[in-house]
Amino acid sequence: MKSRRPGASPVAATVSLRKDSPPAVELSGAAPFRRVLVANRGEIALRIIRACHDLGMEAVAVFSDADAGAGHVRAADAAVRLGPAPAAESYLRGDAIIEAALRTGSEAIHPGYGFLAERASFARVVEEAGLAFVGPSSEAIAAVGDKLAARRLARAAGVPVVPGTLEPAAVDRPDALAAILTDADDIGFPLFVKASSGGGGRGMRRVTAREELPAALAAGSAEALAAFGDGAVYLEREVRPARHVEVQLLGDAAGTIVALGERDCSIQRRHQKLVEESPAPGLTATERADLHDLAVRVARAAGLTNAATAEFLFDEDRRFWFLEVNTRLQVEHGVTELTCGIDLVREQLLIAAGRPLSEASLASAVRAATPGLHAIEVRLSAEDPARSFGPVAGRIGRWSMPAGPGVRVDTAIEAGDRIPPDYDSLIAKLMVVDVDRDAAIRRLGRVLDEVEVTGIQTTLPFHRFLAGHSTFRAAQLSTDWVADEWEPAMEAERAAALAIASSVAAAAAAGGTIPGDTIGAAPPRIAPPPALESGWLRAGREADIDRWPPR
Amino acid sequence: MSQAQRPGERILVVEPTVATRLPADEPQRIEADAAAVEWRAPGRAVFRDGAGRSIPVLLGTDRLASPGAPRTIEVVAAGWRFELEVEDATRADLRRRAIRDRGSAIDAGGPLEIHAIIPGRVAAVAVAPGDVVAAGQTLLVVEAMKMQNELRTPRDGTVQRVAVGVGETIDLGDLLVVLE
Repeated sequence: MKSRRPGASPVAATVSLRKDSPPAVELSGAAPFRRVLVANRGEIALRIIRACHDLGMEAVAVFSDADAGAGHVRAADAAVRLGPAPAAESYLRGDAIIEAALRTGSEAIHPGYGFLAERASFARVVEEAGLAFVGPSSEAIAAVGDKLAARRLARAAGVPVVPGTLEPAAVDRPDALAAILTDADDIGFPLFVKASSGGGGRGMRRVTAREELPAALAAGSAEALAAFGDGAVYLEREVRPARHVEVQLLGDAAGTIVALGERDCSIQRRHQKLVEESPAPGLTATERADLHDLAVRVARAAGLTNAATAEFLFDEDRRFWFLEVNTRLQVEHGVTELTCGIDLVREQLLIAAGRPLSEASLASAVRAATPGLHAIEVRLSAEDPARSFGPVAGRIGRWSMPAGPGVRVDTAIEAGDRIPPDYDSLIAKLMVVDVDRDAAIRRLGRVLDEVEVTGIQTTLPFHRFLAGHSTFRAAQLSTDWVADEWEPAMEAERAAALAIASSVAAAAAAGGTIPGDTIGAAPPRIAPPPALESGWLRAGREADIDRWPPR
Repeated sequence: MSQAQRPGERILVVEPTVATRLPADEPQRIEADAAAVEWRAPGRAVFRDGAGRSIPVLLGTDRLASPGAPRTIEVVAAGWRFELEVEDATRADLRRRAIRDRGSAIDAGGPLEIHAIIPGRVAAVAVAPGDVVAAGQTLLVVEAMKMQNELRTPRDGTVQRVAVGVGETIDLGDLLVVLE
């Protein structure tokens, strides 16, 4: 699947363009770094490796024992083993990652999303090691990583924040309870108790009535303390029904900040996004411009550079409420790339090397309020949509992804790959782009018909249902969509598919032979490239042996 | 790919093994609607439903766990993945009757006819008329698909008759042994 570039140094390899030493002369077209370590796995690691190769740079992968032969390792120029499968012993080991970067002569570390991407402490040690951290500065990450701090900062910048408190609730002082209850009455019920250091819904409690609040505060705080080492919680009004919209931001070291359009990520389950699109449907150009302006104001107040995303809720009265800032490349960055024609990872790498924002991104930002294309992404995950999207581990049998005009698929999976239970269940991001939303949805339908995955259950049935559903087509989006539309229909959808599956199985068996899989579907592999770590080579070969035959 | 239809094999019994939440206690009898299935490539078909929509269907791995056991086929229809046990109706009826016979005959203590539930060749006969046998004892060995399958008695009894001999080819449903 990969084309090997010569091992010789690429162009301008000797020119080291560090963030702390901007070039005296603009070296247009020259690689920003000679070699970049990608501190992630799966599709995002592969996507970053490709951006490095596009810029004529080498990419170093890291891997855990579960990923020794994985797609991102196969694509990299070199790979370094981090440790055993659990993330805490591999992809979360900042010390091992920095050591790997220094040992391989990497000049920058791209953290991707998840794992260490938003840890200010990691960004700081990367900076202190003399490496470029491809993302906002550690100060900016710290400034908005605390959600309460981000709320205060946004409010000071004149950006409406979701109504609620701006200081931690004094959960440990019984005498302060009266004041908290007064705050709660002012905010109104239902409301959320949220963790200041929160993420992924942890430390979060929904409170529908006054008398539930003390218990929710205690439970939320205890959960936050256990998960993040910080028990600070605050109150926030529940905005519902609401749409989730977010603005893609890019900023350079000179302080230029632009918004590259927004994404609607309303279709979620358990606060995890399932579908994203850009632009957010139904916004007027004025609303869009206002939203982008709010996001840029937050970014400027926080001193954000590189790539970040400001998240907002959009309520029924067409008001935007600031939610939080993500100081990383988002999973769903691809839909923005498809609509605005910018390679965000390339921009990130150039900015990390001290370059100014590209002319293309400046020009694109000017057009961001009047987008001319529409892109949709669905996240294909190894999950059972009939069992509350519970994760499914296993081995992929057949694997064929859609292609053709207006289609982009980001994945690192190949036929025969095992889905390790240790990490995120995302296996592929299917993206479509077309002239408008209706055309994009039609294209999405075609793309979903082309997906071929056997061996594990995926979220494909949900995406097919969504793409054909009248409320999605009518852009009636809401964070309650899964509960309102999918859950009531799910059993009937599955039963209908079972009837079809039974009929096809019967027809196949009736023919005497079953025109099924030739079991060895995985193609034989070419030996992996020479690695800096001999252990990687061995592990990779073992993984290939393990994969052949697949069952 | 065209499907050669042979009488008697058109009707199949399909029982979901993974579809745990569906009422699947009784195997479902499925009449294959071959006209609705268009094969596009090995293992890949589209199913035209009543509304004229075409639904992609993939056939994955096909496992024959043991001779005589239903074959298990992985089918992915509209993205839903199932592992379906498929056996033809004749065999399913025999199997069901065998179970029913066992259930009634074991309790009743009357004569019990033991029929072949797999086709094959008789490799060995372990009993003769008049032998007293205990439940679980081997009666004969049938070779099918190069595997030796021991046929055991489901209950205690006395062998009344052995209807086949070593080397004989047997078909599905043939009478093998009668117990008193």
